[in-house]
Formats: sequence, C-alpha cells, structure tokens
Amino acid sequence: MDLLSSYPSWLITHGAALLIILPLLVGAITSVLPRERLAWIVTLIVTLICVVTSLGVLLDVYFNDAQLYKMGGWDPPHGISYIIDGLNTPLIFLICAMALLCTIYGLPSVAAEVEPKKRAPFYAAFLIGVAGLLGMVVTGDAFNVFVFLEVSSISTYVLVAMGASRDRRALKAAYNYLILGSIGATFFVIGLGFLYMETGTLNMADIGNILRDLDGGSRVSLVAFGFIVVGLGLKLAMFPLHMWLPGAYAHAPSFVTVFLASTATKAALYLLLRFIFMVFDPSFEYVITVVTYVLTALGCIAMLFGSLQAIFQTDARRTLAFSSIAQVGYMLLGVGMATGLGLAAGYLHLLNHAVIKAALFFALGAFWYRYGITRIDDFAGLGKMMPWTMGAFTLGGLSLIGVPFTAGFTSKLNLVEAALQRGWAWAAIVIVVASILAIIYIGRMLMAAYFQSPPEIDGEVVAKNEAPLMMLIPMWLLALLSIAIGVNADLVVEAAQGAADVLIGGGV
Amino acid sequence: MTPHVILRVVSKFLIPLIAIFAFYVQFHGDFGPGGGFQAGVILAASVILYALIFGLDAAKKALPPSWVRIGMMLGVIVYGGTGVATWLVGGNFLEYGAFTPEHPDHGIHLGILAVEVGVLLAVASVMVAIFYAFGSRQPDLTDEDW
Amino acid sequence: MSPTIILDIGFMAMLVVVAFAIVRLRSLFAIVMLQGVYSLVSAAWFVSLDAVDVAFTEAAVGAGVSTVLMLAAMLLADRESRPVPMSQQIGPLVIVVLAGLAMFYALGDMPAYGDAHSPANAYVGMDYIELTQKDTPHIPNVVTTVLASYRGYDTFGEAVVIFSAGLGVLLLLGLNGNAGKWRAQPNGTRIAAAPAPAARKRPMPKDAPKPTSKPKTVSTTKAKAKSKKGGKS
Repeated sequence: MDLLSSYPSWLITHGAALLIILPLLVGAITSVLPRERLAWIVTLIVTLICVVTSLGVLLDVYFNDAQLYKMGGWDPPHGISYIIDGLNTPLIFLICAMALLCTIYGLPSVAAEVEPKKRAPFYAAFLIGVAGLLGMVVTGDAFNVFVFLEVSSISTYVLVAMGASRDRRALKAAYNYLILGSIGATFFVIGLGFLYMETGTLNMADIGNILRDLDGGSRVSLVAFGFIVVGLGLKLAMFPLHMWLPGAYAHAPSFVTVFLASTATKAALYLLLRFIFMVFDPSFEYVITVVTYVLTALGCIAMLFGSLQAIFQTDARRTLAFSSIAQVGYMLLGVGMATGLGLAAGYLHLLNHAVIKAALFFALGAFWYRYGITRIDDFAGLGKMMPWTMGAFTLGGLSLIGVPFTAGFTSKLNLVEAALQRGWAWAAIVIVVASILAIIYIGRMLMAAYFQSPPEIDGEVVAKNEAPLMMLIPMWLLALLSIAIGVNADLVVEAAQGAADVLIGGGV
Repeated sequence: MTPHVILRVVSKFLIPLIAIFAFYVQFHGDFGPGGGFQAGVILAASVILYALIFGLDAAKKALPPSWVRIGMMLGVIVYGGTGVATWLVGGNFLEYGAFTPEHPDHGIHLGILAVEVGVLLAVASVMVAIFYAFGSRQPDLTDEDW
Repeated sequence: MSPTIILDIGFMAMLVVVAFAIVRLRSLFAIVMLQGVYSLVSAAWFVSLDAVDVAFTEAAVGAGVSTVLMLAAMLLADRESRPVPMSQQIGPLVIVVLAGLAMFYALGDMPAYGDAHSPANAYVGMDYIELTQKDTPHIPNVVTTVLASYRGYDTFGEAVVIFSAGLGVLLLLGLNGNAGKWRAQPNGTRIAAAPAPAARKRPMPKDAPKPTSKPKTVSTTKAKAKSKKGGKS
C-alpha cells in the first residue's frame, strides 16, 4: 500500500491508457531518430516508465478494485472503455517487464543482428508491437481488440522478417506468419461481425449481458463463437493451427524471439479466456462443449505432439518453439477443466512459462551472439565456453521440465492437482508423460553442453567467451526468478487465483 | 522524355485538382461522406500520378522520401497528440469536450478536425512511402515491357 | 420485390463471378485489375446499401491506390503465378467450404435483410443517431462523429496500423530500395559446423527474398485488405 500511495493519482487513473499511448507515440518518433543508440535509450526509458506504471495499476487493482477507463469520456456501450481487473493486470505487468528486459538485452543483440540503418525503425516497430499487445490485453471493447491485434501483428511480422540479415529463411517464416496471422485476424473479425449481428453492441461486458439474457443466443452467436475460437487459436498457436510458430521463432532476431515467446501467444490466450468466460459464458451448452472436449483434447495432443516434435529437431530454437506449442497445450488443458483450480493453474503456467521461455531464448540468443550457434549439434562444450549463460540455460531448462523447486514444477503440480480434483486422472498422466519428453529434449542440449568437449578450430580449443553483461543480467534475473517462484510461489499463485476468480465470477 | 505529351499536359492540369479535391473531402467530412482516410488516399494518388507520369526521380525531388518518413510519424503524433492535449486540459484520452468545458460540442468539433488531419497525414504519407519503396526497387520499364 | 434488392443481388452476383475469375486466373496483371474491379463493384454495392462513407473508402483505397500498389509490387515479382498442384489446393478448399457452411448454418437465425428492428440497427446504432444530435449538433455526418469521437480511439489504432505498415515497408525495402545487403555476424568466433542452407544460396540473391507465390494465396475478398501488407515479405 505504501508503494501505491507514492504514485501520483493521475498516473493511477490514466495509467492504463498511458501504457499504450506512450509506446505508440514514442514509437512513431523513434522511427525517425537518427542514431541507434538514442533510439535504444528512448526505448529503454519508455519501457521503464511502462513497468513502473503497470506496477502501479497492478497494485491499485489488487488493493482497491477493478477500474474502468473511458476513452474519450464516453460511457461504455457507445464509447470504447478499458477494463483493468485481476485477470489482465498480471499479464500487463508481465508484458511491460519483458519489454524492459528485452530492451536491455537488445543493446548488444540488436547491434549484432540488425542492419545499422534499420535499428531505429526496428526499435520503433518493437515499441508499437508492445503497445499493440498491451492494447489487446487492456481493452474491454471487442472491436478494439481487433484493431490492436492488427497493430501488434503487423509490427511482429516485420520484426520477424528482420531476422533476414542473419538467415534468409526469416522472410519465408515472416510471410507464413503474415498469411496465417491475417487469416486468424479475419476469422476473428468475422466472429465479431456475427456477434454484432446478434447483440448490436461491441462492448464485451454488454455483449456478455445480452448473451446471458438470451441464454446463449441463436445459431448466429454459436457460429460467432466458432470463428472467434479459431481466429484466436491461430494467434495463440493452438495445436493444429501452430504452423507459423516454429519458423517465426527460429528465424526471428533473438530479441524478437524472446519477446514473442514470452508475450504474444500469452496475450492471445488471455483473449481466449476473456471471450470464453466473460463475453460468452460456460453456462451456454456450446461453449462448455467446446471448452471441455475440443480445447482439452487439443491441449493434450499439443502437449504430446509438441514435445515429441521438439525431440526430433536439430535447431535449438525450433526445439524450444515446439516446446512452446506443448506448453500452450498445458495452458489449454487448464482452461479446458473450466474449474477455478484448473483456470488458476493454467494462468499460473502462462506466467511461469513466459519467465522460463524468455530465460531460455535469452541464452540461445547469447550462444548465437558469441559463436553463431543455432544447432544442438554445435552445443558441444558450451558449458565450458560460456559457463554463466549455460548456467542460466540449465536453470531454465530444469524449470521447463518441472524439476522440484522450480517455477515449472509449481505450475505443473497445480495442474495435476486441478486435474485430479476434476476427476481427470488421465490428464495427470499426460502431464507426466509430456514432462518426461521434456527431459529428453532439454537433456539432449544439456548433455551436449556439459559432457562433450569444446570443438577445436585450427588445432586449438575454442576459447571461453562469456556473453556480455547486458545479456547476462536479464537472463539471470529470469532464471533466478523461476527458481524463486519454485521455492515460494505465493505471490504468483495469488495473482493466478485472482485471475481465475474474475473468470469464474463472470460479469465485468 | 518526349512521348506521352498528352498524358503530361492533362496530368499537369489534373494533379492540382486531385489535391484540392482531397482537401475538399477532408474538410467536408463533417457534412458528407469523407474524412481523413479517403482524403489521404486521394492526396497520395496525386503524388503517385505525378510519379507515374514524370518519373519517380522527379517525384522524389518534389516530395523527398525523408519528408514522407516524417509525414508518417507526424500523422500518428498529431492524432495521439490531440489525445495528450485532452489529458493536459484534464479530460480522458481523446475527450475533446474537455477543450471547451462550457460548450463540449465545440471542443468535439475541434478535436475531430485535428485527428482527421492526423489521419490524412498518416495515410497519405504511408501510401506514398509504399509506392516509393516498391518503385525504387527496379529499373524503369520500357513501354514494350507492358 | 423492391428494385434495390434486385440491384443488390446483381452486385453480389458480379462479386462472385469476379472472385471466381481471380481464383482461376494465372496472369497477375489481370488478377490485380480484377481486384480493382471487385473493389469498385463492392463500392457500388455499398452505395446501394446507403453506406456511402464505406463506399467512398472502398473506391478510393480498394479500387484506387491499392491497385497501383499491387501493380508496383507485381513488377518486382513474376508476371504469372505458377500453377498450384491439386494436392495443395485441397486443404484451403476444405477450410473455405467449412467456413462457408458455418456461415450458412447461422443464416436461419439471422435477422431479415434490412430489418430495422434487428439488434445491429436498433441498439447502439440507433443510440448514436440520437446522441449525435445532442452531443455534436454541428456535425450532421453521424459516421464522422462515431469514427472520430465515440470510437476515435479505434481510429487512432487504425492510423497506427497504417503507420506500422509503412514502417514495415521502410524496414524491409527502404524508401530508396536499397535494403537487404547487410549480413549479421556473431560477435566472436563462428564455430557452427555448417552454414545455414540459405546462406549458401547467396550467389543468387534475387530468388530468395521474394515469395513469388504471393498472389495465389491472396485471393478473393481478402485481397484488398492485404494489398498494403502483402508486399512486405
């Protein structure tokens, strides 16, 4: 409470809007800045302000109550309003914090991977992408979601394509992402059109109330639900719709991969949660059917399929990308249970996975930065060549597997508990099997790094060359955080519980 | 370039008219169909037409690419800046009524004019920017290629 | 049957015909032109639906500028699209058919065409007409008020979407068409055993960056939405 009272009251009232407007406006200015270093400093300051603001908003929602921010001062059904509640504030803070860490990491990383002239616009696109994601998460207006979905998507396509100066395949990956992402956005907007046809309004809470009055509405809202789930499913890489993800993660610049992996799919998953539970309602027969059978089944398939695919990859980032698809499966399983415990566990895994995956991708970026390594075969001896980076990678890897006293363990344990409470013992088995598969693909990398000797070039063993401090700091911060969550998860569990309460409580 | 005399003469006559029509669409948006989006596209069309008839280099001399970049940025800044201004006068973001608290409708009118200018700038410069970017990628085509 | 209904049916029939022609054609020039036709016909249809603002935008953006931009993009790629093997067409066809069937399924419960009492016409839409008379008596065009004031924040988002599309083109092509030569290098010793396959392709840089298959995926109605983004990859 003390910390909260030190915030100026204006920042708390308008904080949610500032979080989006500031990066958007500064992003526009950054695009014409003449010097890359200046652009970086500006980005750093903006993301820092965003972190501070989002913390204030988070505390305010925690101690006081959910907020409604009316854009343009118009009341909800007519104007666009923001809803800031226990469901989205943790995610807002997560996105801001990741943006800040990525920016710190970006100073060396972007300098190595992006053409000098393009670095200022690159940071501009990044800021706009951050703002787009935040805008999607914070808004309470269904069409506004679409607008900011486009803002974040377009800048992300470009950011992924910027990997082309490292690997030409980035262009193809970005193109795939562009096409599939556009199809997803189109499906989503078709769904919104149907919803508007049924209810005549675009405000999420309003749609929710009208649909509840209609007891789920007619076939129009059923079809709307289908289109929205498929559209968001594409964005969050739900199992059969995940085709864009491995390529995009593998070929984007390291900086972008980290940010994408830790926030983009999470924001889409959050939207799915909000649409399923607060715009529609699990009490409608078609919603609960889709959630219980389709989402759960797809989640379980994704867990097994993603982990299996991850084992057979040669490229380290592709391995982790398939692992991300599997982790989305865990979260969907939690959603599929549609119980308070399950939702809390899914949300917890969402937060934890963002921390873990970001640490892992940070480390992979550092491997490339020093040695140009992308393939697992080249990991040989990395434990000796980059001990600190590899250390962070190991912590993250263990956490991904779910070794006790790591963040991954906490969320998987919660998921298993929720599954058992729901009476789904088979789901618990799937979780265990997927975790065993994770041991294999993470183990492969760790074995190569620690049990093989460093390669020799011209008869000399490759010298130790640790990553720069700017890369190590964010990496270790997240690695230690994942351990800290594993030791004492109270704060994060409480946040996840709060989110689940908002979802189950229904209504905004 | 001696050919296309008719095209050059006619377009010289047309381009200013197109640009004026763009501004008509822009400022008539309050009363009839139109607004920043359509006006921006029409304004961009006048530049693109100039580039098509007189060549990309001439167009770039008339409207340098660096201006286009700044125009893109200004568009967003003008729109967002209007919102920031409403913050400064104590309203919510984009609450134009706060400009003139005693007559909110005047403030709203003012705000709409301002943001439409932002849209005009952003749309027109982005369209020209995309055309410049594509156009600069290849050597000029001869007529036979068509 | 009122004459406007006949007009609407005529326009929709034309749209379907044009869409099929776009899908069937191989010449990119013809496809781009037909997309312009598609936009123009839909603009005319919007006029008949009394949505003049939308029609104006569609005519200016869809039929006007985006055709020119698509042509400019096409000149950088091939003039003909390669035929797509049947095996690759089945997946998209299934998706399109399923999506179409879903929409037809909803058809039975949709409000009647032009129904003044449907939620879309009666609820917030009707409110706007009343509210604008009170809030902004000096602006007779309701669309402008909704666009720039009630939902002005969405329009801001749209302006940013346009901006980021421009930024994307800037990042990928550069305004003077001189981007893409720079290669990233690790800040240390490169020890990766083999270069990535694409790196070996460098002797023929022209083939890599441009997806020549672009327009085949960009078909029918979504084409215009993508015209400004399509050139980016």
